[in-house]
Amino acid sequence: MNISTSMIVLTAVMGLFGIGLYCLLITRNLIRVLVGLQIMVKGAMLVLVFVGQSQGQPSLGQSMALTVIVADTIVAVVGLALAVQVKRSIGTLDIADISKLKR
Amino acid sequence: MLQIEPLVIITILVPWIGALVVWLIGDRHEKIQHVCAVVFSTTAAISSIAMLWVYRSGTVLSFSMGSSYGNFSFVTDGLGLFLATVATVIGALTIIFSVDYMRGSAQLGRYYSFVLFFIGAMVGLVLTSNLLLMFIFWEITALCSYALISFYNDDPKAVSGGIKALIITQVGGLGLLLAAALMYAYTGSFDINIFISNPSLFPSNILGVMAFGMLIAAAAKSAQFPFQTWLPDAMEAPSPISALIHAATMVNAGVYLLARFYPAFKDVPGWTLSVMIVGMLSALMAALMALVANDLKRVLAYSTVSQLGYMVYAVGAGGILASQFHLFSHSVFKALLFLAAGAVIHSVGTRDMREMGGLGKELPFARTVFIIGSLALAGIPILNGFWSKELILEAGLEHGNPIWIYVVMLIVAGLTALYTIRCVWMVFYGEKKQGQHIHPIGRNMKIALTPLAIGALTTWILIGPFSKMMSLSLPVHFIQEIDLGQLFNHVVFAPATWIALAVIALGIMTWFGKPALSGIQEILKPIAGIAQESFGFERINKFIVDATQGMGENLRTTQTGKLNWNVFYILVALVVVFAVLMIGA
Repeated sequence: MNISTSMIVLTAVMGLFGIGLYCLLITRNLIRVLVGLQIMVKGAMLVLVFVGQSQGQPSLGQSMALTVIVADTIVAVVGLALAVQVKRSIGTLDIADISKLKR
Repeated sequence: MLQIEPLVIITILVPWIGALVVWLIGDRHEKIQHVCAVVFSTTAAISSIAMLWVYRSGTVLSFSMGSSYGNFSFVTDGLGLFLATVATVIGALTIIFSVDYMRGSAQLGRYYSFVLFFIGAMVGLVLTSNLLLMFIFWEITALCSYALISFYNDDPKAVSGGIKALIITQVGGLGLLLAAALMYAYTGSFDINIFISNPSLFPSNILGVMAFGMLIAAAAKSAQFPFQTWLPDAMEAPSPISALIHAATMVNAGVYLLARFYPAFKDVPGWTLSVMIVGMLSALMAALMALVANDLKRVLAYSTVSQLGYMVYAVGAGGILASQFHLFSHSVFKALLFLAAGAVIHSVGTRDMREMGGLGKELPFARTVFIIGSLALAGIPILNGFWSKELILEAGLEHGNPIWIYVVMLIVAGLTALYTIRCVWMVFYGEKKQGQHIHPIGRNMKIALTPLAIGALTTWILIGPFSKMMSLSLPVHFIQEIDLGQLFNHVVFAPATWIALAVIALGIMTWFGKPALSGIQEILKPIAGIAQESFGFERINKFIVDATQGMGENLRTTQTGKLNWNVFYILVALVVVFAVLMIGA
């Protein structure tokens, strides 16, 4: 069986994205939600790099991926900070119990 | 030497700069705010009057905005230029009036900022030839209208009136946006003048959709059938706002839109007839409602709807010049009426006409100007309303227009006279009510009212230059130039005029012969009842609001707020999209 690079990359992308999505589907812990989100974004980044490579514009894809890394870091930081505050003020990280914003 | 280009920029931007300045001055310096607002609005008015001397047709200013928005260009043709002048001059007069009317009111900065912002946007709306830019200005005027209707934002009636006006005019905005998008899709540009000179570029069904989209836009903006309900509720605004936005300028934008696009849409089957019927129904129903209303400003609001109905009817009948001339007359005399009513309300402290009466002796100045305005509204000879209304009625007889609509419009002319005299009588004559404390009218109010009263008596003299400017600068509208002598011949020697005058006299006589006609009054009671219920339109509005809210409430169950479910729905949607793509391929 012939295994090309693109096969490997695509498998990795699908794996990462699937794991992240599955995590978002089943988990109720806020920290785990954030971790799932991060894993999904890593898959998306890999796609950017891979598509840039295959379309003959590797620098464009990589710079996009870098931008995503920066943005994603901010998301992670803010999300985790929120999680800390939520834990302090509500006393739980279970997203089903966090319903203060719901009328 | 004066140039047109800087004048266009000045007229639009000076009010906007003024809005910013007045707002930044802050509410602690009330005097400076008054002065600044007057100075900025007067500058704009002077610059727009100056434009009348140096105007030239064709595009005068163009800002390139890239390929997708087209050029933001401005043209100074007769149609736009005179409305810009009306907007700035009446704007300046209402601001002068406001100095007395709003004295001591809280949050003056907000008030003046929105008025000035509105004036600039209105000028932009009528001068631009880019439909996208026009849409933006169109929505800015709607926003200012909303903000100023709800100016007294601790009064729930004012807030709900403002929101009602905003939502209903948004429906119209959608019609305009639809037309703009279709225009862009078929020509690749937003240029109005290219479109109206070659409407044949469009398939006829697309042209029909655009034409009726524009009609919806115009009807919602000008408070025409079936959207007329927002204007009476907009009367919670301060009186100068009612005079400026809801009588003289913004509500005319709909008529302006119809007149501007008339050459493109006149061959769309059924369009002109629909326009005429919309105008007729608005004129008739609003006149009936004005007959039974007891709130002074609501009577004037209904009469505005009714007179706008005349203008819309005139556009449908092919009388662009007549409709624009009536628009001009109406702006002057209705601004006068609203400002005079504002002065009366300011003096008496109530808007209910049943609590007024016999005010003529206490407020002789207000009585004089109000009567001048009312006579113009009723269409009594010599005043400007007479000439323009006769032109409209004559246009209704030309071009093979249906005669029954003309007859209805004639009856409405009689009704107009009847409700006008009823209003004047209830406010200024009759028995004086007990326990009234009457303030005198301020000096600035008189300064603002005097030119408008003179205008109501004399603006018809301007028909010569007015029609000349229109006929020269609007080649595709085919407007015939008429001078004063021709107008005179046209109107005085037409049998239609004498019929109309007879109907108007009949309307006035009906008021004085009221006791003798009590039998007829009894018969008409049910109609009065329906008119007081605003012909069931309020009920339809309430039904729509309730249905929307109920649906929203019911759909809440789908919003669980649970992340897992949301992700699940996203996945399902993704699968559906893929499935559709697979089947489609």
